[in-house]
Amino acid sequence: MTTLEVKDLHVAIDNQEILKGVNLVMKTGEVHAIMGPNGTGKSTLSQVIMGHPAYRITSGEIYFDGQNLADMAVDARARAGLFLAMQYPAEIQGVTNIEFMRAAINARRPEDDPISVMDFIKKLDEKSAILSMPEEMSARYLNEGFSGGEKKRNEILQLLMIEPKIAILDEIDSGLDIDALKVVARGVNEMKSPDFGVLMITHYQRLLDYIVPDFVHVMMDGRIVKTGGPQLAKKLEAEGYAGLRDELGLDIVLTDENVDAGL
Amino acid sequence: MTKYQKQDISLTAAQQLPLPNFPKVKYASWHLDQLMPVQKAISNAHFLTAEDVGIEILGTQAGHQYLPQELINAGVLVMSIQAAKKDYPQLVQRYLSSVIPADQDRLSAQNLLQYNAGIFVYIPDNVVIQSLLQLVLVQNATTTGDAVQRILIYVGKNAQCTILQQLRTMGEATIKSSTVIEVFLDAGANVQYSAIDALSANTSGYLNRSALLADNAQLNWAQAEFNRGNMVMHLDTMLSGQGAQTHANVMAMVSQKQVQGINTRVSNRGRHTIGHILQRGVILDHAALVFNGVGNIIKGAKGADAQQESRILMLSKKARGDANPLLLIDESDVTAGHAASVGRMNAAQLYYLMSRGLCEKVARRLVIRGFMGPILAQIPHQVVRESIIEDIERQLKDAHQ
Repeated sequence: MTTLEVKDLHVAIDNQEILKGVNLVMKTGEVHAIMGPNGTGKSTLSQVIMGHPAYRITSGEIYFDGQNLADMAVDARARAGLFLAMQYPAEIQGVTNIEFMRAAINARRPEDDPISVMDFIKKLDEKSAILSMPEEMSARYLNEGFSGGEKKRNEILQLLMIEPKIAILDEIDSGLDIDALKVVARGVNEMKSPDFGVLMITHYQRLLDYIVPDFVHVMMDGRIVKTGGPQLAKKLEAEGYAGLRDELGLDIVLTDENVDAGL
Repeated sequence: MTKYQKQDISLTAAQQLPLPNFPKVKYASWHLDQLMPVQKAISNAHFLTAEDVGIEILGTQAGHQYLPQELINAGVLVMSIQAAKKDYPQLVQRYLSSVIPADQDRLSAQNLLQYNAGIFVYIPDNVVIQSLLQLVLVQNATTTGDAVQRILIYVGKNAQCTILQQLRTMGEATIKSSTVIEVFLDAGANVQYSAIDALSANTSGYLNRSALLADNAQLNWAQAEFNRGNMVMHLDTMLSGQGAQTHANVMAMVSQKQVQGINTRVSNRGRHTIGHILQRGVILDHAALVFNGVGNIIKGAKGADAQQESRILMLSKKARGDANPLLLIDESDVTAGHAASVGRMNAAQLYYLMSRGLCEKVARRLVIRGFMGPILAQIPHQVVRESIIEDIERQLKDAHQ
């Protein structure tokens, strides 16, 4: 069993504090969702766990199986079993998806024992089929010229190929129509096992109809303010984030508040 | 046939001509105008094998030469330039110096007078060559003696072909190199021309690749510079006929202490001509790279389009790079634009690759390749793309990153 533990995490970018004391524990075999309004630090949390160089941890720690991630470079975190499906994956012309995924798999194997071409292609065909991805997509350049939906699928394809222990999915549902959402959810559900944990970051309850969480965390103003089961997401959908804030008696201004009033 | 007047020129007169101008590159001390052209033959072809269509010249001799019978029947000629001078003197005479005037500058004039090896290609009107036509010049540096070589290519009206031309060195002796390539595209001809130049670290040289395009001819260049030594290079395209088009794609990679200056020029002479320059350069270690991009629209070239984009990636603090765009426009009814930048590694791409577990070294290599991607994407043949990627990987492995 693998554990990801975030302890009183404070993070700043350009001297502005974004995370103000996040606490979270998750284990393999569990499905977690973090919900929250825009601008509350959800994506920052995912990037900091992965090790994005732009963010600075001002206090607190993140542990992966007891090891402090602060001591590990981005690639070492990935090889230890972390995965982040990004909201805006980079495009790289000149490097094919196939080549990239092989390099990623081989990075986890001894240098003198790379995956055989046959095994790799077999696995790729199998996983592409789950995501209804045409074969020629893997021969294309990495994310280059991909539509928003194709990029999301490609992130999940990488997840299925790499088979990490814990995956963070940052708004994997954004920009997807309902059919594409179902396909992406099928891919994630395919991974479910006692050896795999997933943390989904989303604005919408809709995703959670297809990937049912064990735990739902609500984040506001750089903190997790409430944790509950799947019913918490449904309640949010009905009452909005402002409702929960008022119920908890928090003094926070939400970015998109008063939108209704303005209409 | 052409606006350029051929001239005979003496070696003394050639020595009086000015050196070609490579802005921001000091190369007089390389003494490229003092050549001792001695090249011995090497017995076996190294880069082409039996099925490859084309010719490989090693030193001064053809080591591989193959044309399918149907191309021979169609009148296609691919042979060493000496053989062509002997067997087809009038053809050679007609096109030699038709693209680069004999008195253009000291280095190209000396090449004209001193070349002792090279290739002649003649593709008659309306002939379409489906196979990749490979032209390889191997410079012999197993002993000292400079390489002075010339390639002359004529592509007839409405003829089509895809060329892969390579410039390689065998041996590690210190030599100088002078290579001049003239490409004449007659009306409606269409050529994809990829070039891999990979001369040794101990070779300093001059390379001039020039083309002249008649009406509606189209030439797409993809030039990959993997030379390890000091080089000055011209890629010059004259869009003489109306509606002629060129895409001049150039990639260069320099490392260690080498200096490379690359002038890429497109002249729009005919009406409605289109000339696009796209350049990518990567600089490692202490090396220096200068891109001088020139879009020159000549008076009368109404409706012409001249665009250029040059980007340089610096991978070390000691690297020196320069991308100088220049638009010279003597006609008002035209479109033109340019973009140039000198920058460092794309941090977002590097992070993305490393977030999948690739170590920094491998991730950097892929980001660098991605930077070259826009040029790679212009290369039609997969074989050529793969060959260029191999050269990129080789150079990156050797550099002191």
